[in-house]
Amino acid sequence: MSTNILTQNDIRHVDYKDIDLLKQFINPHGRIISRTRTRLTARQQRAVEAAIKRARLMGLLPYIQK
Amino acid sequence: MVDVEAETVNEEAAVIESGARIYEIGYLITPTVKEDGLEKAVGAIRSEIEKLGGNFIAEGAPSLTKLAYSITAREEGKKIEIDRAHFGWLKFEVQNSAVDIIEKLLKQDANILRSIIFQTVREDTRAKMKAPTLREVRRTDTIKSMPRRAVEAADQVPVSEEDLEKALKDITTE
Repeated sequence: MSTNILTQNDIRHVDYKDIDLLKQFINPHGRIISRTRTRLTARQQRAVEAAIKRARLMGLLPYIQK
Repeated sequence: MVDVEAETVNEEAAVIESGARIYEIGYLITPTVKEDGLEKAVGAIRSEIEKLGGNFIAEGAPSLTKLAYSITAREEGKKIEIDRAHFGWLKFEVQNSAVDIIEKLLKQDANILRSIIFQTVREDTRAKMKAPTLREVRRTDTIKSMPRRAVEAADQVPVSEEDLEKALKDITTE
């Protein structure tokens, strides 16, 4: 059975303020990691993507990282 | 389980009927604003929401945060780069018709650098997960032989030079 960080920790809602959690889903360049690597469900991946984009807008996460 | 589901369905029905929904706003206040100014700025937002019939659910007080990238802002006609700001948030219940008004008010506020408003859920959405830490690595640079050497030195009996010469002579004659 495939597991992911959200299922393992029983996280039902992804908050854009949880920067440490969201950092698990971006690569060193700041790009969102694909679902094949995150092993999230489609619903979870959408929630993570929305949270990352909100965090980026608020300057909590970078759009790009050199 | 069935009761919980029925309750949520009832709650949703009530929400649809009343038109009230849960929203969260996040805001960045410019770093030039001092502590008194922060309270005033947040108080202004809160009073506007209260005027529109909002009920507060949760709040995060603004705290100075280092931004992931610098934001360009205009101050007295000059462009300035801002790399840190006071980040705070508010969760509240309000009629969906009031959201546009709140959004406009936030944009008009000169102290607010950037803001976001979106629909969310009543329960706490913050993850209760402990931030993953680096795997503990066994240190190899520590010197463990030091005390052992000291013990060995203590066990040794001091040998006089005469005894040493004698022993050497015995070895050479053999």
